[in-house]
Amino acid sequence: MKVRLSTATLTLAAVLAGCGGVDLEAIASTAPARVGEAAPAFTLVDSTGRTHSLADFAGKTVVLEWTNHDCPFVKKHYGADNMQGQQRAATGDEVVWLTVNSSAPGQQGHVDGARAEQIRTEARAAQTAYLLDPAGATGRAYGAVTTPHMYVIDPTGVLRYAGAIDSIPSANPGDIATATQYVPQALAELAAGQAVSVPVTRPYGCAVKYAN
Amino acid sequence: MDTPRCNEVASKAGALRCVSRSRALLALLAVLLAPAAARPASEPVRTDHLDSRLVAQATAAVPGQTLALGLLLEHDPHWHTYWRNPGDSGLPTQLELELPEGVVAGPIEWPHPERFELADIVNFGYGGRRLLPVTVTVPADYAASSLPIRASASWLICEVECIPGEAGYAFELPVAASAQVEPRWADDFAAARAALPQPATDSLAIAEGSDAIALALSGLDGGATPVHWRWFPETPEVFANGALPQWQRTPDGWQARWRKSEYFTRLPAEVALVAVDGARTAWRFPARLDASLVPVAGTEQPDIATGDTSALGLLPALLLALLGGLVLNLMPCVFPVLSMKAMSALEAADDRGELRRHGLWYTAGVVATFLLLAGALLALRAGGEQLGWGFQLQEPRFVAVVALLLFAMALSFSGVWALGGRFVGAGQRLTEGRGARAAFFTGALAVVVASPCTAPFMGTALGWALVQPTAAALTVFAALGLGLAAPMLLLGFAPALARALPRPGPWMEGFRQLLAFPLYLTVVWLLWVYGEQTSALGMAWLLVALTALAFALWLLGRRPAMRSPGFRRVATAAAAAALAIAIALPMSASAPPPATAGAAAAGEDGTEPWSEQRLAELRATGRPVLVNMTAAWCITCLANERIALATDTVRQALAARNVAYLKGDWTRSDPAITGYLARYGRTGVPLYVLYPPDGGAPRVLPQLLTASGVADAVLALPPAPPQETAP
Repeated sequence: MKVRLSTATLTLAAVLAGCGGVDLEAIASTAPARVGEAAPAFTLVDSTGRTHSLADFAGKTVVLEWTNHDCPFVKKHYGADNMQGQQRAATGDEVVWLTVNSSAPGQQGHVDGARAEQIRTEARAAQTAYLLDPAGATGRAYGAVTTPHMYVIDPTGVLRYAGAIDSIPSANPGDIATATQYVPQALAELAAGQAVSVPVTRPYGCAVKYAN
Repeated sequence: MDTPRCNEVASKAGALRCVSRSRALLALLAVLLAPAAARPASEPVRTDHLDSRLVAQATAAVPGQTLALGLLLEHDPHWHTYWRNPGDSGLPTQLELELPEGVVAGPIEWPHPERFELADIVNFGYGGRRLLPVTVTVPADYAASSLPIRASASWLICEVECIPGEAGYAFELPVAASAQVEPRWADDFAAARAALPQPATDSLAIAEGSDAIALALSGLDGGATPVHWRWFPETPEVFANGALPQWQRTPDGWQARWRKSEYFTRLPAEVALVAVDGARTAWRFPARLDASLVPVAGTEQPDIATGDTSALGLLPALLLALLGGLVLNLMPCVFPVLSMKAMSALEAADDRGELRRHGLWYTAGVVATFLLLAGALLALRAGGEQLGWGFQLQEPRFVAVVALLLFAMALSFSGVWALGGRFVGAGQRLTEGRGARAAFFTGALAVVVASPCTAPFMGTALGWALVQPTAAALTVFAALGLGLAAPMLLLGFAPALARALPRPGPWMEGFRQLLAFPLYLTVVWLLWVYGEQTSALGMAWLLVALTALAFALWLLGRRPAMRSPGFRRVATAAAAAALAIAIALPMSASAPPPATAGAAAAGEDGTEPWSEQRLAELRATGRPVLVNMTAAWCITCLANERIALATDTVRQALAARNVAYLKGDWTRSDPAITGYLARYGRTGVPLYVLYPPDGGAPRVLPQLLTASGVADAVLALPPAPPQETAP
């Protein structure tokens, strides 16, 4: 009898101990996306109000570009037509190009759909869609820390490139010509059925303005 | 990284750079046209949110000597520029000097940075007024009468927004046989030098794990506590900027794991860390690769269940601790104390003021004891002891005292001795009765008996707290205490609750006697723990002590009824002698380490005692291993063993996959086990780690086991290579 009783209380204790572990898991489970693993799923509304999920683009190569039009590094690549040029080339090759804005309301770079459309038009941008991520969940899931911050996802949904737009971290558009542009390089290698030669780089740019 | 150049590209920034270069030329012209007075500095340049200028430490350049220059940055409030490793975003400040032929400039000598955090993005840089020094060597044969210095600098300055900036500087220093220190910048140079990392003489070894870098620091003097230092990764893309190293004391120094950078590809040939110690001295630690660093296998992020505890913020940790404390009230550990508390609450049920006062004193007792224990733990750990939470129960003498105390309480509840006698032991007056002191010490007792439950329950939060600065750690423990005390506190402040208490009456005598039994059971448990820690003989001596205590208390209880003063005197003396025996016996009991006995017992059911070496050997042979870290005083551990590990289901699964079963016993303090727990972010038991065959990443099993859960995890392992020793 005594044994059975103590087993019951021990079980109770263990169950309660287990409950504590669950909360902690929830807090700690924010590992960002990793190259070579499945890219995190997301569903976001674009600048025209349409909803897009990563799953919608299964079978296609997807490029993600984190943006903030007020960031000097974004201006560097848009001002020199580098970003739009890459977008035109990619979408021309049936690649899906999604621009993502994770600036939180009240933070620099935060836009509504109308403003995003205006920015697109002014920049003559050629992305597939401009996605709004004001809560930052998608940005955090990918571990996007800078604008620009670039990701390439292959047709099977595996992340193949994460990092900087190019190899010269500077705000000077003069450097674009001599820098290696990582996304076109990765896209070309994927299209040729090769492994991505530079799969991970340290991104440079402005910090993504997540909600604090 | 490229250096800024005035190039021909007709772009905005390029043009801007050329403009600033021509501005620099204008400044140089102004210098040349100015009277020949010494000007050991350029004109300040104002750019967005920054005043910058190039300054010299001395009033003249001396051929054959070095000359200290500095880029003096005065940031607007809240704005910052970046260190050589800027962190998650940002760019390091760059300085390019143009000097006459033969005059050579060194690189920027970077003072240690500050940490800037924005949401989850962590950067390293400088705010306020900072000087970045550069050393210039003037050759002995430098013949000109002056030294023209031109420079251009570029940076990224950020608050929340970021603005790239650049400027050109020019000035001319007279050349002389000797030079004086320029007083205007003396403080800036002094501050920069003071913040410059000194080369550390201590040795830092690193090795790569799958998710983390293992670090081993040796040669530090005994009092050094790298836990409390501020660490900065000088080499980018190796360490995660947002994470911090989790240091643990080892026999040869300190070890830590530091989560890998998201951009980690491979360890570069040269890796360096900068640390700012408690005396605000900065040190630069060049790291040496050491593939033999043992804990690498174990330093891998085991799984998300243990998580990266450094990611846990103070607020979530406090909240968790508060909740944890509350739930602790439902743990069997605390039941006996709660029954004491319930008794006094019942007695005071019709006096709200008294209930409230009791609640407050009880809370004070709980919180103070948590702080005392946590403070002692932190102090001992800082002194190099390998201890975890629940450490006090690793001390057999402590266990004996708690057993004696609870036994005395139980005897009192049973009516063997009455309350309030004049010669009654201090322990009784401390925890019995209605006084403030009683409430306070009941709280203290609650913490002591609750601590074995606390360890598994609060694992990660306590693990987090124990590597934080002392103030943060103690705050978490205080929150834990508040949670534990909350129900009693609430009783005094929620009239409805107090009204719900049953009225006092004669039934309470029976109820009190009933409540003695959980206390007796707790004493039985403590006796067993004491036996595990010492020996069967030790346990027998503690039983003698309990009997002596019972005798003393009985005698004291009888004393008022004795008619002869002589008898009373004898009774007092006899009781005092018995009490002395009760206390002295367990104190003097020798406590042989139970290692040999434990090993023999463990061998019977196919388990082996854990050791770091045995684990490494087994893994080297490619065999899967299950490690079970347990302690006699850990109730969750015992439950898991009974419910899951000792079942046939699990035994068969282990045999099917030829899994070696290693059991570590932490009942008594064991630095090796404490270090092993720390690698998984734990400060206490239980911990179950399953290592797959062929050196794969280990998996941490939940703290609550089920037989089928363990069996599934084991059977999910790939089959081990054939073993000669396989059954």
